[in-house]
Amino acid sequence: MGVIELHGLRKEYRRIRGGRTVAVDGLDLEVPDGGVFGFLGPNGAGKTTTIRCVLGLVRPNAGHLTLLGADVSSGLAGVIGKVGSIVEQPALFPRFTGRRNLQILGRIHRVGRSTIDGVLERVRLSERADDAVRTYSLGMKQRLGIAAALLKDPSVLLLDEPANGLDPAGIVEVRELIRSLGAEGRTVFVSSHILSEVQQTADQVAIIARGRLVKAGPVNEVLAAGRARGLVVKLADLHAGARVLADAQIPAIVSGDTLSVDLPPDQAERVTRVLAARDLYLSELRADEIDLETVFLELTKDEGLGP
Amino acid sequence: MIDLFRSELLRSRSRRILPMMLVGGVLLIVVAMVIAGANSHKPTPAQIASADAAFKKQFARCMQGQFLGPGEQPPPGYATLQEFCTEAATPPVDAGLQFRDIALLLEHTSTFVVLLGVALAASLGGADWSAGTMTTLLTWEPRRIRVLLIRALVVSLLVAFVTLLLQGVLLGAFSLAVALRGTSLGAPPGLVGTAVLTGLRVSTVAVGFGLVALAIATIGRSTVAALGVLFGYLVLFEGVIAGLRPSIQDRLLVRAGGVIVSRQPIYDQSHESFSSLGPSSPLPVLLGLTEAWIVAAVYVVVLIALALFVFRARDVN
Repeated sequence: MGVIELHGLRKEYRRIRGGRTVAVDGLDLEVPDGGVFGFLGPNGAGKTTTIRCVLGLVRPNAGHLTLLGADVSSGLAGVIGKVGSIVEQPALFPRFTGRRNLQILGRIHRVGRSTIDGVLERVRLSERADDAVRTYSLGMKQRLGIAAALLKDPSVLLLDEPANGLDPAGIVEVRELIRSLGAEGRTVFVSSHILSEVQQTADQVAIIARGRLVKAGPVNEVLAAGRARGLVVKLADLHAGARVLADAQIPAIVSGDTLSVDLPPDQAERVTRVLAARDLYLSELRADEIDLETVFLELTKDEGLGP
Repeated sequence: MIDLFRSELLRSRSRRILPMMLVGGVLLIVVAMVIAGANSHKPTPAQIASADAAFKKQFARCMQGQFLGPGEQPPPGYATLQEFCTEAATPPVDAGLQFRDIALLLEHTSTFVVLLGVALAASLGGADWSAGTMTTLLTWEPRRIRVLLIRALVVSLLVAFVTLLLQGVLLGAFSLAVALRGTSLGAPPGLVGTAVLTGLRVSTVAVGFGLVALAIATIGRSTVAALGVLFGYLVLFEGVIAGLRPSIQDRLLVRAGGVIVSRQPIYDQSHESFSSLGPSSPLPVLLGLTEAWIVAAVYVVVLIALALFVFRARDVN
């Protein structure tokens, strides 16, 4: 049984001028226990609405949701103590200090002072804990939001775009934090439209577009779903190399300062042998790793959201 | 439940509006009392003797029933004729500050005190929506009915605390000003108790209006919406309605609050029976004290119930 399970989740919003917008359209999803689960989709795909439904902030029009085995519509209060979350931007009182914000939340679940100090230390905000939140940078606010989510020592974390608006250093910090949380055995459900972020942190991934699930599974499997992998070859005379490979029935084209060879990585040895036989020596040979971004664009192309 | 209450209390008392109101209120009271004291003076012994004699004469006339119509009873709110006469007979001292006005002072400042309560409650109710922290709060406590009821309790306590404190400061400052620059001549026994009860009634009304403001802030999800709607309704709508159809005053919140504070019922002035029934027939009461409590309670309960329904049903985006 998944930590989070969605079956046929549907959410529509009424437009002010009539009509309806379907934010989530019959979404089925099962998030396994432990590790980092990436929830990918372009802006407007329904990621935030899905998270809001899981947290009971938004009532779905149809479908069934469970969180930690509890029915979200009736039993959420029983499990919310094990769930930490950030929905969009961390919403905190700007005029209160970071510590005071955490104290206010912590009192609801009797979180002690030492726990507050601990999470502040963990997100490296101890030195600024007694400053007003309005003086924090965006990255610090995001870290404070994560600290608030960690206060309950949750077994499940739902983080909605946690790296949004962060500078590169902040992104790396958040990425490392998410990785470490997943490595502790917690289930970290991270939504993002920054694909490289999810690729570097997630064990499992689900891609949604227009409120529908496009693909889900382990990151490697989803990556493999995009297109067959090839090889990237670098050598002094690219055009000569392409001719030699073509003579050996190996398709290759010049792509920038490399050759793209349409051959599975496990047949790389054929390429080196054919080229070396014609006195063409490689300076680089590597698998043409497809990244999640390419897969994402290819998969969502069918949904009319790709390039 | 207790933990949520403590969290809400901590959140509410951490808000800037609370010390701002307290400091601002105390400063206003001090300035007002300094000005009042500057324009007052202690009566001379001759003035005191003359006023005392005049007071005794007035009191005696009142006790003979000369302050009331033939066969007329003391107005509602006065248990005995003596109680009525103690207030009705005033020593004619032109000395400015008089201690016997202390309960009246609280009545006259009640509008300001109630407005403070409304502003405080609207701010506490709307702040979470404007800061977006309602989302955060509900991810900690998803039982919305519980959240709003606890919030209503906290708002009630804070409004009561602020209004009682400020009225206490006002009583203290007024007493000091009277001691230095006024007179306690003609102050009836039990005046302080009457003043305290008036203060309690004012605070109770402030709490009621505060709960109405909280309910509107919750429904409109904004402090500004709450203040705008409430003032629009109370000042414009109720004012216009009361002007156009005086007979409907028995259903208006502001009128009910006024009756509760002053303990003076509203009479049906439009009643034509005064002349036809003769001068001995008193005007019919349009809104009595008990009815005023009921009207105010109905407003509070209905609006809080509506806020609970809306808060529970609507998505939090």
